[in-house]
Amino acid sequence: MTDRNDFISHDKLMNEAMRYKRGSVSRRHFLGVTGLGLASTVLASSLGRPALADGIGDRVVLASWPNYHDPANFDSFKAATGAAVDLNVFGSNEEMLAKLQAGGTGWDVFVPTNYTISTYVQLGLIEPLDMSRIPNYDAAAFDPRFAGPGTVDGKIYAVSKDWGTTGMATNTANNNGKAVGSWKEFWDMTQAEFSGRTMVHDYQLTTIGSALKYFGYSFNSIDPEELADAEKLLIAVKPHLFAITSDYQPAMRSGDAWLAMCWTGDGKQLNRDIPEIQYTLGKEGGEIWSDFYAVPIGAPHRDAAYALINYLLDPKINMAETLFHGQPVADSRVNAMLTPERLADPILYPPEELLKNLEFGAAQTLTNPDRAELMARFKSA
Amino acid sequence: MRLYAVAVYLFLYVPIGIIVLFSFNAGKAASQLQGLSVQWYGKALSNTFVVEAFQTSLTVGLSSALLATLFGTMAALALQSVKGKLRAVFDAMIYIAVMVPGIVIGIATLIALVTLFDWLNPILKALWPIADAAPQVSLGLGSLIAAHGLFSMALVIIIVRARVAGMDRSLIEASADLGATPFGTFRQVTLPQIFPGILAGFLLAFTFSFDDFIIAFFVAGSKTTLPIYVFSSIRRGVTPEINAIGSMVLAVSLCLLITAQSILRRGAKT
Amino acid sequence: MQPRYRTALFLLPATAWFVTMLVLPLIVVFVFSFGDRGPAGGYAPAFSFDNFLNLGARWAAFKNTMVLAPAGTIACLLIAYPLAYYLAIRASAKWRTMLLILVIVPFWTSILIRSYAWIFILGGKGIPSLIAALGLGHIQLINTPFAVLIGIVYGYLPLMVFPIYVSLERLDKRLLEASSDLGAPPFNTFLSVTLPLSMPGVATGCMLVFILLMGEFLIPAMLGGGKVFFVGNALVDLFVQSRNWAFGSAVAVALVLVMLVTVTVYMRLTRRWAGGRDDISLM
Repeated sequence: MTDRNDFISHDKLMNEAMRYKRGSVSRRHFLGVTGLGLASTVLASSLGRPALADGIGDRVVLASWPNYHDPANFDSFKAATGAAVDLNVFGSNEEMLAKLQAGGTGWDVFVPTNYTISTYVQLGLIEPLDMSRIPNYDAAAFDPRFAGPGTVDGKIYAVSKDWGTTGMATNTANNNGKAVGSWKEFWDMTQAEFSGRTMVHDYQLTTIGSALKYFGYSFNSIDPEELADAEKLLIAVKPHLFAITSDYQPAMRSGDAWLAMCWTGDGKQLNRDIPEIQYTLGKEGGEIWSDFYAVPIGAPHRDAAYALINYLLDPKINMAETLFHGQPVADSRVNAMLTPERLADPILYPPEELLKNLEFGAAQTLTNPDRAELMARFKSA
Repeated sequence: MRLYAVAVYLFLYVPIGIIVLFSFNAGKAASQLQGLSVQWYGKALSNTFVVEAFQTSLTVGLSSALLATLFGTMAALALQSVKGKLRAVFDAMIYIAVMVPGIVIGIATLIALVTLFDWLNPILKALWPIADAAPQVSLGLGSLIAAHGLFSMALVIIIVRARVAGMDRSLIEASADLGATPFGTFRQVTLPQIFPGILAGFLLAFTFSFDDFIIAFFVAGSKTTLPIYVFSSIRRGVTPEINAIGSMVLAVSLCLLITAQSILRRGAKT
Repeated sequence: MQPRYRTALFLLPATAWFVTMLVLPLIVVFVFSFGDRGPAGGYAPAFSFDNFLNLGARWAAFKNTMVLAPAGTIACLLIAYPLAYYLAIRASAKWRTMLLILVIVPFWTSILIRSYAWIFILGGKGIPSLIAALGLGHIQLINTPFAVLIGIVYGYLPLMVFPIYVSLERLDKRLLEASSDLGAPPFNTFLSVTLPLSMPGVATGCMLVFILLMGEFLIPAMLGGGKVFFVGNALVDLFVQSRNWAFGSAVAVALVLVMLVTVTVYMRLTRRWAGGRDDISLM
């Protein structure tokens, strides 16, 4: 045993390395004790990586979805820790997966959906979370229906952010005050009264899934015949679409589009600002999903990543988030702080008879090559 | 005829005018003018990520342009003395570099580099004395400069080669007859004649790299260039900040162009 | 130093760069095009022609490109030629440089930012609202092939103007005088003197624009609303969303082949008209 930083026994080095790997000590401690701090700083600056600083660094890179975070929370995070949040927005899990597969994303935190997590673990793209660094997460407080998919093989890889549904948003002012209530109506009206005014997601899972619901098939179907029916419908509908995009809020707000395939939170935000826009679920069924926070392997600012996740899971902050983005959260501590009217809001908490028809997306739906190819053919057509 | 020209100029500049106009929007919407203010310029300039994207674009642009101009000029000069099959091969490579669409170059570079890194990184990790601190290569500044420089270099070779071909040979012979060393001849006779071509090549190379989106989109990795930032902002939710960025880029391009034009004009006079 | 060694030394950096960043990556694409899609996306080594046989799945993207690219090129030509003519032959020398710079400047601004203006102009609050105000009903302009065509013309116009201007500027004006002295009406002068002599410029311009259009991605992405797919968009989708690297490589190979064929045919034809200019240098 020695106190001098320039001499360290092999055993102590391995010991400290294992402690660091398990996350029991901070990187600073490890590097200081083993004398690697200085070496690493020199190496890092010559390789162009940011040198160590006090605290968690000056930034955290977050890959997430449109309209999904309250900018005020990012400002307060920056004020509290000095790290600015660099937000990259994506419209589908496929894009996130593609970027992670290509490597070198530079992301610290990202927001995957429930059915992607097992694939990420299989591909070795995300790391098990060090739960000791996320004290704000209380496993008992989270609804296992929504938090469960984050645990793979007994290890927690992702913590629950929120959950929601995929339905449709109608600008009822263009429909005699009625909201579209079924996928049959959605796809039929797009080809008739709503021609040139409808938007669908640029996202294989929901667009193909909702087309499958028109026929009453499963949202997750990978059956070639059912997919062929869905493809025929999509190709027939395509000339009547206004746009294929997951970022449909601007067009709905400006009135260019009257009907959009929509996620819960966007539906809530639109309805809050423009009451004529109503969010409904298709009565045949559709998708229910939950989103998570995860840390990709090779995250350049791991300290900042954990700090951000922990910060956003603080029940008070999480409540501010849910009030902004309009998605329900699975944390009972947050739900306890919400008003009864909020908890009764049918957009956020749909009635049971509609909820029971919804399906969670499946991992194989994401990776199935036929569905990916169908979507590409549809966009190409 | 003049009316037609005016109409075309209007067609070219009204959209730019709209962009500049909305950059002074006091409101937040990108489609509704709500009074005038310079707030968005302030916001853009103080936005760390905008400044960084700009710095990245600048670094990549200057580096790739410098390297491309240097190596391209050298190659153009050397190609004078190369004939036959070797010359044909080189011409083919230049032709391909210019002809192949940027998107294919971007994709090819992406998959080639990712395959290379997937193979290289585990080896680095295994060989490096301290396992967890092994440097890992990934897409970033290096891949950006390398990919941009490729196309720029081909451009420079074409431009400088044409310039070299159009040179007055008798001057070079005269210089040699008068006893100048090859380097001296180069410096005092050849270089001044081809310099406008070199400068033009450099400016074109820089502009190409600074404005490029499609190649950067594939090979930038974790880095963000200004075009990538603008493209993702259009996705993120449009504010007049983009208009401010666009107007500033336009103003800088304009100045660069006018400067280049006056340098070239002065150069041509001598 | 021996001249031969100096030549080799001077050529070395460029050669190394070309080989590592051009030849090798293109070979990788070629190899990948015979492969399979990885289980969750990506590439799995294999050797089969399936990807090429399956190219028909992207037929619509190829068709869109092969229709809108020439259409855009011709539209650019029709709009650019009169302007180039005006600048080269009618404008006074005093204004000419200034006007030329004004044409080039938009080209020097990122196409991204310029196309963005059209999203507004062609969107609900732009021209369609004007048309609706005039009582002519609702017409959707954005997210249509028409919007993409406008975006193309707007983006590539400066590129088309410049080579035509260069070749018209080199025209010996005395030929035009001679032709009118000989009694030819202005239009005949144009047809038999001006137009043929400007063909090299026209050829260069069209080729430049067409080549760039074949690989276009941004304009359809921004103005097409996900509905207008060029080969470029299909390629981006295959690498960034459906993650089929093998098939994407095959599409890339197909694109390059189509371009090579088109450009070779094009150059053979124009070489016959324009009398043999085989490099695209403009300086």
